[in-house]
Amino acid sequence: MTWAVWAVTGFLFACGAAMIVLRRQLLAMLMGLELMISAVNIALVYYCSRYADGETLASVLLIIAIAAAEAVVGLSLILKVYEAGREVETESLQELKG
Amino acid sequence: MSLAVLALAGCVAAFFAALMVFQRSLYAAAICLLIVLLQVSVFFFFSGAPLLAFLQVMIYAGAVMVLVVITIMAAPSQVSDPWSRTAVPRWLAVAAVAVPVAEAVAMAWSSGAASLPAAGISLQPSIASVLFGPYAAATEAVTLLLLLAGLAMADEGARR
Repeated sequence: MTWAVWAVTGFLFACGAAMIVLRRQLLAMLMGLELMISAVNIALVYYCSRYADGETLASVLLIIAIAAAEAVVGLSLILKVYEAGREVETESLQELKG
Repeated sequence: MSLAVLALAGCVAAFFAALMVFQRSLYAAAICLLIVLLQVSVFFFFSGAPLLAFLQVMIYAGAVMVLVVITIMAAPSQVSDPWSRTAVPRWLAVAAVAVPVAEAVAMAWSSGAASLPAAGISLQPSIASVLFGPYAAATEAVTLLLLLAGLAMADEGARR
């Protein structure tokens, strides 16, 4: 069972990393990040259920909350880029404009 | 039975994660991510953490994905290809709906019976004692972080 959980979490993590590396759209990269965080959460929950460790469960709950906050801030930054009418590809975002 | 559902959730999550990487349309990628997040919550449930499964669905599959879709809708037209043009095969769309329904039935059927040997509902009370005991400072910090993140989005709305 453990190898299966590691296989799924490793694969999900790799897909998330591929999204970040291969895609050029900011939103696609943010979705890849969410996938990577979910993969880590699966591994944590599996091991905390194997060893009945409540502390890990609490840390997963905090990770979910922090990841939600990160998604909100990231999405509002992306909305600002759209609002400024600038290109949405990562190559064109070279410098910070006031 | 729950191990079979765990295996199904793992396979479906891996399949749609791979599909997500190659989707040109952001809509299609968002739908694939939603299905993966739902499978993660199924995994949490059958690993003996129903509270986390509930939070995963509520926060991730709910709130974050709604924001992602709103951001896609706000994107310039060349970024947000409409879903229809991605020509997702019909059987795949039906499978994407049928699998969560089957898993929901399995969850309802086995609710409370944790699958993995060490897991159990006894873990739930320990979350609260940990969050408001040794992790109290981290809990307060995350609460403030969520408030500030909400302000980031509220500021966005106030400007429009």
